[in-house]
Amino acid sequence: MKSFLEFKNVKYFYQTKENEIKALDDVSFSINEKEFTSIVGPSGCGKTTILSLIAGLLFASEGEIILNGKPITKNDGRIGYMFQRDHLFEWRTIWQNITIGLEIQKKDKDPEKLAFAEQLLKKYDLYNFKNKKPRQLSGGMRQRVALIRTLVLEPELLLLDEPFSALDFQTRLKVCDDVYDIIKSEQKTALLVTHDISEALSMSDKIIILTKRPATVKEVIKISFHGQTPLAKREDKEFGKYFEMIWRNLV
Amino acid sequence: MKRKNKNKIISYSKARKQYLKRIKKDKILVLFWQIALFVLFLGIWQLLADNGVIDPFFFSSPSRIVSTIIDLANEGNLWIHIWTSLYETIIGFIIATLLGTIIAIILWWSEKIRRIMEPYLIVLNSLPKIALGPMIIFWVGSGTWATVVMCVLICIVITTISMLNAFISCDSDKILLMKSMHANKFQILFKLILPNSIPEFTSVLKINVGMSWVGTVMGEYLSSKAGLGYLINYGSQILKLDIVMASITLLCILAAVMYLLVSPLEKKYKR
Repeated sequence: MKSFLEFKNVKYFYQTKENEIKALDDVSFSINEKEFTSIVGPSGCGKTTILSLIAGLLFASEGEIILNGKPITKNDGRIGYMFQRDHLFEWRTIWQNITIGLEIQKKDKDPEKLAFAEQLLKKYDLYNFKNKKPRQLSGGMRQRVALIRTLVLEPELLLLDEPFSALDFQTRLKVCDDVYDIIKSEQKTALLVTHDISEALSMSDKIIILTKRPATVKEVIKISFHGQTPLAKREDKEFGKYFEMIWRNLV
Repeated sequence: MKRKNKNKIISYSKARKQYLKRIKKDKILVLFWQIALFVLFLGIWQLLADNGVIDPFFFSSPSRIVSTIIDLANEGNLWIHIWTSLYETIIGFIIATLLGTIIAIILWWSEKIRRIMEPYLIVLNSLPKIALGPMIIFWVGSGTWATVVMCVLICIVITTISMLNAFISCDSDKILLMKSMHANKFQILFKLILPNSIPEFTSVLKINVGMSWVGTVMGEYLSSKAGLGYLINYGSQILKLDIVMASITLLCILAAVMYLLVSPLEKKYKR
């Protein structure tokens, strides 16, 4: 498989008034197409910096980032971003929320795109809520809407920044399953950033472990389970072994 | 068994009934005291004035206020005064709210301008705007426009500061989300920042109702030929304090009506 996203010796320095902070030191890794990859690392190690670099909102001080054969030089709309909170706009209906990206990119008159948005809503059981306001939906449903909002734009790569951390544990397992299901059935390449080892394990094909700041790649672990869904994977007897392996790498 | 069940339902609905009854009772009680306080206040005022405990020349009385209002209305000038104050207030209110919001948008747009303007905003905010009164008369002349300018000056700084705070307190992840969807700054402003700030905007409207009346009365004190502020000033100069009290009563009513028109907006958009 050819690599879809590639970090080549990426360094990043934060500038503050007092001094220069080295956030990333020589980070290199690659992600394959349609693969689900997670990045775990100690808190404050620069996970979100990596996402911002990929999204083209920050730029590498040294090194190169290549997405689908083209280097990332600006925020060029190839990326879908999902956040800790769903950030649905309360003044818009569900339909208006998921089509906001089309509106921004002036594609909201394109019948093909609108049909795709509608189809996504139908497929993931949200069509009946089309004209509802976000506050009328449960936390899990809202997070699903947020995911559909990014999928409508058909991004090449999906970035997930701890997208479940604002949910309570029960909802979290359920939403984790749902989101995984949607990403797999839409055949998206995804990169998840999290500090939750179990979450990373239950969703990923590959886990990249970072050291503490300045971050470098400490280990890349390929994951394979018998189970299919994140919930089933959690019950796999290998789960504990993987968990320990990653945990030992983190401390 | 059946009987027990039935009892259960009855006892549940009883509790519910009691609860609803209590809420209704509370509501009536509050309303009763609101009205009672008003009636009591007027009654005691009238009584004290009638019995000469307080001098109605200085303190007026409800009956004198009512008859003064009727007299003024019959003379035909009252409507001119009310109308003058009302439109000065409304024009000032609209200009201040719009201009203040536009300035806030400009300051949100450019962090540089914001940082440059910050000390000026602070000074302007703490400056008692009434101090500019004499200058306003030299600048725009006396009369309606002086009053409108005073009204705008009093409302605009607080509008700008409140709206700017609302704009910059918008969640940075929401802005990041818009950027990740390739939104430009205009789109971020119109699709996120402005609709996101509607709750704050409605509270600014509410504050400005009060502030714009302050501005109008201040402006009319300074220089005017008509208006309720003028009437208050005139009444005190010719020592007809009934006119002063009647004007204050009318101001109360007008401000309350304007407030009632604006406050449903705030409830509607409350988060």
